[in-house]
Amino acid sequence: MTGKIFLKGSVAGLAALMMSGAAMAADEVLTIGVADALTGGAAVYGLPQANAVQMAADEINQAGGIKVGDDTYSLDVVVYDDKANPTEATNAVRKLIDRDGVKYILGFCCSGATGAVASFIEYEDAVMLVGNAAERSITTREIGNLVRTRPPADYTGAAAGAFVAQQGHKRVAVLGALEISFYASYVEAFEREFTKGGGEVIAHEVFASKDRDMSPQLTKIREMEPDALLVVGYVEPAAFAYRQSVELGMDIPRYGFTSGSEEQFLRVASSEQMEGVWDLRPTELTLQSTGETGLAYHKNYSERFGIAPSPSSPYAYDQAWALKHAIEAAGTADDTEAVAAALRDLEIPSEAVMQYLPVNGKMFDENGQAYTANGAFQWQDGHWVYVQELPSDPEAYSAFLSTLD
Amino acid sequence: MIEILQQIINGLAIGGVYVLIALGLTIVFGILGIAHFAHGSVSMFGGYLTFFLVAQQGLPLTLAIAIALVVGMVLGVLIELLAYRPVRNANHINAFIVALGLTMMVEGFNLQFFGAEQVVIPTGATRVFNFGGLTLPELRLYVILGAAALIVAMTIFVEKTKTGQAIRAVAENRDAAILMGINVQMIPMIVFAISTALGVAAGVMVGSLFAIAPGVGEGLVVKGFAVLILGGLGSIPGAVVGGIVLGVTEALAAGFISSAYKDVIAFVVMIGVLLFRPQGLMGRA
Repeated sequence: MTGKIFLKGSVAGLAALMMSGAAMAADEVLTIGVADALTGGAAVYGLPQANAVQMAADEINQAGGIKVGDDTYSLDVVVYDDKANPTEATNAVRKLIDRDGVKYILGFCCSGATGAVASFIEYEDAVMLVGNAAERSITTREIGNLVRTRPPADYTGAAAGAFVAQQGHKRVAVLGALEISFYASYVEAFEREFTKGGGEVIAHEVFASKDRDMSPQLTKIREMEPDALLVVGYVEPAAFAYRQSVELGMDIPRYGFTSGSEEQFLRVASSEQMEGVWDLRPTELTLQSTGETGLAYHKNYSERFGIAPSPSSPYAYDQAWALKHAIEAAGTADDTEAVAAALRDLEIPSEAVMQYLPVNGKMFDENGQAYTANGAFQWQDGHWVYVQELPSDPEAYSAFLSTLD
Repeated sequence: MIEILQQIINGLAIGGVYVLIALGLTIVFGILGIAHFAHGSVSMFGGYLTFFLVAQQGLPLTLAIAIALVVGMVLGVLIELLAYRPVRNANHINAFIVALGLTMMVEGFNLQFFGAEQVVIPTGATRVFNFGGLTLPELRLYVILGAAALIVAMTIFVEKTKTGQAIRAVAENRDAAILMGINVQMIPMIVFAISTALGVAAGVMVGSLFAIAPGVGEGLVVKGFAVLILGGLGSIPGAVVGGIVLGVTEALAAGFISSAYKDVIAFVVMIGVLLFRPQGLMGRA
């Protein structure tokens, strides 16, 4: 009996000791914010990003937190739905800064909402880390406390245009969300390079993000007898465009810029309807194009959320790890200017899932912009298959970006 | 010429959906004088329910649709009994407010139980039929045929059955219908049951052809009322003609002018028709 009590007491004492040790190792809490589209049409990008930040924060905490001098911070994540709407995003970020006292804000899947926040973030004592939003102007405004993990759309569009020209196509019809500026800039860069390669864009048909019936535009395109079709837009309308192109009997190569996962496309179109479609995009997460960190990310995310991660979601995961290393390098979690400077001086973290191409050895260039390689992915037998890398020159693009206002 | 015919085929499927929505609205409005704004949200509920039964419970599509239609009819009866009947004799503004409140309730219910993501009802109908350069996807063919069958069934019911005659009698003159021995307490329930079933059918069609998501129902009910006005308030043939005209006009406008102005052009056509026929295409002057 006495022995049992002694044993129980020892175990309890040991547990208390371990708990106090843990408390000492993570004696501060750093609240970080996420503003992203959790509902609405853009939730296919925003929700996986919010999940990715949460997962990264938990992994950072489990790995011992963020060490700043004698302090160790564990991360706490507050998430708000910005619905990819500029007003909602502004409100969400204002709540994070003014009410929750947050200094580090991550997420940002979509350009309209991100642009609205970027317009005032430089006046705030905060650091903004942008993910999937691809509008070029976000990193041309010389905002010192903003960095972005995804490359701008036109950086990828130019590579896509050169690739499609190399396939021997001469007449390409474009169907897309061209009222959204970053899709327009992708097409503009695509067209410039495609024209250089001897091709011509013969149609610029438009759909809105909420549209699900693209058969009128596709019928019009079909009559023009193009060599190929380029679809640019959010996953859901793009998936309908692919499905309806098959329903209209269009037997031509189809290229796109969507960054949707297999599950997201298969909710709308069958694998047969998707067969052969190309996605010309940054080399984002696919099992064929990723390394060990990507495989681990895919496995952990799938187990935790019961669904495979979307290809673009690691942009947000990488934000969290970049922030951790920047805070540790800056030696402070309070001085946002020092952390923002440390971000620009950061080498690519070993935990990063996306395969970034460094500029001057750093993850972010002087504009706060990171670059990945571009890739050509093709739908084959129900999966996105990484076929080849597209030509990418981050140093040259970074120099070009620096010339823009 | 092929392109025009193809655009007309494109427009017929969506036109069929508009017809079903408008029929549901027009019988409620024609008989009870209620602008049933919640109709679109109720339609989406039917689509969500079918998706739930097919994709998550593994039921065959036809059985799931049948269950959704029955549930829709029961829901319609409940809406009439619990929401509209208490304000039947009050000022019209009361029914208007009830309709708006009901819309928010059903939208909230859909959001709570079915989530915020868009859903597409899996049908497996992926074949495409070709006729001399024209293509007709199997699913669109089913939607057109389904809508046509429901329109015919509805017409036969209203024109040929005793209940249908009673409904028309109440619509024509409620007091005279009472004197003729028609149970006027029962008629609104039947009307709402039919209306909601038609809405559910439209929801299933939208959910399989396109997608269901929060907010889709609101857009659909706006189109439904546009069809009502275009075809003539309370007119069943007007709802049929108006729905098809609106669907085909949208497809032609998107194909030949600009998809960006698709909705605007459709409403311009509606205004143009009303300038010459204020009572609508099939309405009585």
